Amino acid sequence: MKLERSKDWWMAQARREGGAVIGAGLLAFDPVPEEHGSGAQSAAAEETRIAFGKFVNLMRRRRGFSIEQLAQAADLDASELLVIEDHNHYVPEPRTIFKLAETFEVSQRRLMQLAGLTAANDAGFRQEAVRFAARSESVQKLTLEESSALEAFVAVLSDREPKRVK
Amino acid sequence: MTTDVSTIYLLDVATGGSIEAELRDAIEQAQLDDWQVKWQPALLAVLQDLARNGVPMSQWPQSWHWNWAQKTAQVQGLLAFRGFSVVACGETQGLAQVDLRKAGREPSQVGKPLVYLDYLEVAPWNRPELGPAPRMRGVGSALITAAVALSVDEGFKGRLGLHSLPQADAFYRKIGMTDLGQDSAYQNLSYFEMTVEQARAFLEEE
Repeated sequence: MKLERSKDWWMAQARREGGAVIGAGLLAFDPVPEEHGSGAQSAAAEETRIAFGKFVNLMRRRRGFSIEQLAQAADLDASELLVIEDHNHYVPEPRTIFKLAETFEVSQRRLMQLAGLTAANDAGFRQEAVRFAARSESVQKLTLEESSALEAFVAVLSDREPKRVK
Repeated sequence: MTTDVSTIYLLDVATGGSIEAELRDAIEQAQLDDWQVKWQPALLAVLQDLARNGVPMSQWPQSWHWNWAQKTAQVQGLLAFRGFSVVACGETQGLAQVDLRKAGREPSQVGKPLVYLDYLEVAPWNRPELGPAPRMRGVGSALITAAVALSVDEGFKGRLGLHSLPQADAFYRKIGMTDLGQDSAYQNLSYFEMTVEQARAFLEEE
């Protein structure tokens, strides 16, 4: 099918567009997921989820991965990883946790708790998570302190005794 | 089947000048490659910027939560259907896919065949909602023009139907389409139709 229109006609069309957004169909659109949970119950979950986001961020950087590389390695959606690292109100899907636990070689059960998908039955775990979140800062390279904080926390996530930190 | 190529013109937003472009009546492998190696990273970069600047998720573009793996598979499937693409400066600037099996819903054309615009997406760098400096303007309009022209070609007299992205509703109203309201079967996207008269006005407008 050939379209025969003058240059002026096409330019007039383009100008009429102005700053309009144009798109159609479900393939071009996916809705933002519903907000999960609310109130006091989610406040505790939020605390550990901060740790979860930081954990994913540090583990990724320790491996020298970009978000895209981690997405590929774990077979996950890069935009979801981005949200996990930076938005602690986001509740990831169980499959995402499964893939991350597999990739980072930590306990899936503990990671589920950290992400707020299941409740931890020991207060100590939550404390560890909060302590970890407080100790890690979001900077370009892993500092020595971040590394040791991360290592200690990986031990917790692996259901082992935490190593002594220097 | 060979691909027909029409010469069209886009607006270069930076200079206000024109850019010669191709409107192709197919989506081919080159387009899918562009989608994967150019569009996807460009969109991801925008998302990373948003996250870095602490923009709340509620203000992110509606398309942020694409499941890339699933979407990639669906986009690969576009090869099998009638589609259109706009190519300029050696890159794919926009894609559209149409379905010729759907029927009208607007009262004056209920049950009449139309071209249903299954999918229309403009390259991230041309999208005004993704940044302050979209490169080209006119890509979306050109794809809609192609769909309406196809409708005329097929004997559907220009009748067109589509589910609009929420941010695009205003544009479809502006080009004279009828808003038939939110469609609960399509995640509450608004359904728009172009009637025969509306199509005639659209194609003749100077």
